[in-house]
Amino acid sequence: MKEESKVPEIINKETSRRGFLKGAAVTAGGAIALATIGGVKPREVKAAEAPKAIQRYLFVERQNCTGCRACEYACNIKHEGVVRPSTARIHVLKHKGVVDVPVICWHCDDHPCVAACPTNPKSLTVDPKSNGLIVNEKTCLGEKCMKCAEACPAEYVRVHPDTGNPVMCDMCGGDPECVKACVQQSGKPQGPCLVANTLGFGVNLAYRNVKPVKAAEDMIDLLFYPSKGDRPKTGKSGKGR
Amino acid sequence: MTAPKGGYFGKILEVDLSKGEIKTRPLSDELARKFIGGSGLGAYYATSEYKAHHDPYAEDSFIFVGPGPLNGTFCPGTRASFVNQSPYTGLISHAEVGGHFGSEIKWAGWDGIYIKGKSKKPVWLSIKDDKVELKDASKMWGKDTQATDDMILKEMKDPYARTAVIGPGGENMVPYAAVIIERTRAAARTGTGALMGNKKLKAIGIRGTKAVPTVDAAKFTEAAKVALQYDVDREAWQGIKRWGTGGLLEQKQWVTSSLVTKNFQTTWYPDIEYIGGEQAARTFWKRHVACNNCPVHCMKLGVVRDGKYRGLIAEGPEYETGGLLGSNLLMKDFAGMMAMIELTDALGVDSISMGGVLAFTTECIDKGVLTAADLDGIKPKWGNADTYMELIRKTAYKEGKAGKLLALGVKKMSQKIGKGSEAWAVNVKGKEIAAHDPRGDKGRAYSYAMGQCGGDHHEGDSPDLQARWGMINSLCMCSFVGGVPWLKETPGVVVNMLNPLCGWNMTDEEYWATCRRIITTERCFNVRESISVKDDRLHKRFLTEPLPEGPKKGTLFTAEDEKKMHDSYYKHFGWDDKGIPTDATLKSLGLDYLIDDIQAARKTL
Repeated sequence: MKEESKVPEIINKETSRRGFLKGAAVTAGGAIALATIGGVKPREVKAAEAPKAIQRYLFVERQNCTGCRACEYACNIKHEGVVRPSTARIHVLKHKGVVDVPVICWHCDDHPCVAACPTNPKSLTVDPKSNGLIVNEKTCLGEKCMKCAEACPAEYVRVHPDTGNPVMCDMCGGDPECVKACVQQSGKPQGPCLVANTLGFGVNLAYRNVKPVKAAEDMIDLLFYPSKGDRPKTGKSGKGR
Repeated sequence: MTAPKGGYFGKILEVDLSKGEIKTRPLSDELARKFIGGSGLGAYYATSEYKAHHDPYAEDSFIFVGPGPLNGTFCPGTRASFVNQSPYTGLISHAEVGGHFGSEIKWAGWDGIYIKGKSKKPVWLSIKDDKVELKDASKMWGKDTQATDDMILKEMKDPYARTAVIGPGGENMVPYAAVIIERTRAAARTGTGALMGNKKLKAIGIRGTKAVPTVDAAKFTEAAKVALQYDVDREAWQGIKRWGTGGLLEQKQWVTSSLVTKNFQTTWYPDIEYIGGEQAARTFWKRHVACNNCPVHCMKLGVVRDGKYRGLIAEGPEYETGGLLGSNLLMKDFAGMMAMIELTDALGVDSISMGGVLAFTTECIDKGVLTAADLDGIKPKWGNADTYMELIRKTAYKEGKAGKLLALGVKKMSQKIGKGSEAWAVNVKGKEIAAHDPRGDKGRAYSYAMGQCGGDHHEGDSPDLQARWGMINSLCMCSFVGGVPWLKETPGVVVNMLNPLCGWNMTDEEYWATCRRIITTERCFNVRESISVKDDRLHKRFLTEPLPEGPKKGTLFTAEDEKKMHDSYYKHFGWDDKGIPTDATLKSLGLDYLIDDIQAARKTL
């Protein structure tokens, strides 16, 4: 129960370096930054905290995923009103029936997908407030282009089965439903797998550059075979007999 | 005949393996509302298409894989139901299995898969939305379930696809063979694996991209969220979240005294500490796994960290697998037990029946009616995993004398062995029973003896519960989630979801009538196969041998208990004292098409 109640607090707290820098930038003084470290909260930073924090990044603790797909379902309910995982903005890959890996948009600071978009103006843009990706359904070249999917290092981008356009995570405008669903349904006692904006800076590239299947294989080693050479060639984690 | 407004697509995928034909079978709103889906719809097809005394291996035998209307929606914890006439018992049987397979059927735009006929060479069924193909499976034939799953996903070029496959057990038509879903979950107890092997259907791979049509999406989601929240909060599920059903092993030993032990000779097994949920939590489990949208995540995966099986990843122990392949065989060797559980999954045999068969065989050796010579020189010994592992392997391949004998199942084994061995051949209607001893947990007697599949633990522990279970298995909901369909809050929770989803105006009365209709339809099928009150009985071990130890020492399932069980049950469903549905009951439930068959059957019973 402790785990459960702790999580929303962490999420809602504006502890990110970004928020902190923003506060510093507004007053344009190092003294304020020092004051923050000293524990005295300057007024500007407090104002930034005000009603509800805007979440700008997603992060996943892969080893906590139970594979329930509550994130996909919540995403669908928010965007489509009915469940349709093929159009969800988050996917859960089940690998060898042993591990589940959430495949998310990491909302990279360098946005390789946006950089790759060939149209002018760009059909794929970033919402400056929430860091969410917005697809212009009219100008997007769709299935025949998919340069964004090629550029994505995390193999995240999927084609919408009806429109043929890429399906992109818009961060629900800064309040991601998938995170809320994960917190509610997370495994006991290890806690939720999806978290938003607890890092304080953009996602480590080392994380997002791992492709889902590789991440799944890593997970098998991390969870089941921490010491080298333990992994057998047959059985669940291998190719079978 | 009107097309369904919501909840259903109004079409069922029909595959004829003999002709290699793929067709669409319409599903009307009336039929859907009457039989819901899953086990109910399967029972309707079996009763309306088969004649009495049907041969399970006949050309026209079908396997119906049915999701319910709630599959693929926001409703938590939905499953898939495999319905067929069991080649093991000859009765209508349904196996519900978790995972995402059932939902994927809906997302592919189908209300179910109906497979009949027999293929000449091994095939597998590939479904991608409307694109359905039968593909060559000769390369997969002979492979275990894990390797087959791997090959199907590669051939489909889609890591997000879901599979249902059989292993060597199914291929060799071991009558209690299972279908394995997503490598870890088993649709078992129904012989569906053997039937798939008989049809030379190695696997089904499926992937869908559609959404279930919903009449009032906002209202439905609200109702489904109520069901979900209920499962998040419910106190009783908190332990299941932590220990899965494996945690019940200790509970049934120390509290209810209903843990299967030594082929039901006792229920007292203090050594459960070596193989139970707590031991698994300390030394084995690594992660929880959930079905779709489920907050309970009862499945646990772990890895053996030491000894001969070091590095083996296995699922469980669940209550049934840990009971039947654990305490039932007096196992103290945790890793050995997990290896056995994993082997039954990999070879595609039902771990419950397998555990029952192994325990029966060992007792036969103990009592001297069977010798090692009858078992290819293998002498099974209580608690010795190595001999059991070898016997499981032989059974799945029907190899040698031992394999051929064990693949018969306890009832036929005892008939073959003779020498009074039927006294400990514990079965109901020809099938081994699950891991709850009905002397300690008398409610289970209903599930075993009265349940339509026979010997199953998922049939409901009282007449009322059994009616509810009929509905759950047709909706393909899980017993742990989905608004907990067997609690007093239902039918409210379920009806509130169904009405906005399907555009119905179902009332509580209609809900209860549907529950009774589904059970009665299944019963009618079994009555035609000559089942009556004489078969609705527990094995005589429970009536004659009192519990020798434990908190409920001396308890028996008495003849009075049995009488009470029969009377209350038949009265609840409106059947006569032979357990045959009356004409009035059939009429009131709208099952007029069965009246002639039942009248004919009544004369012979």
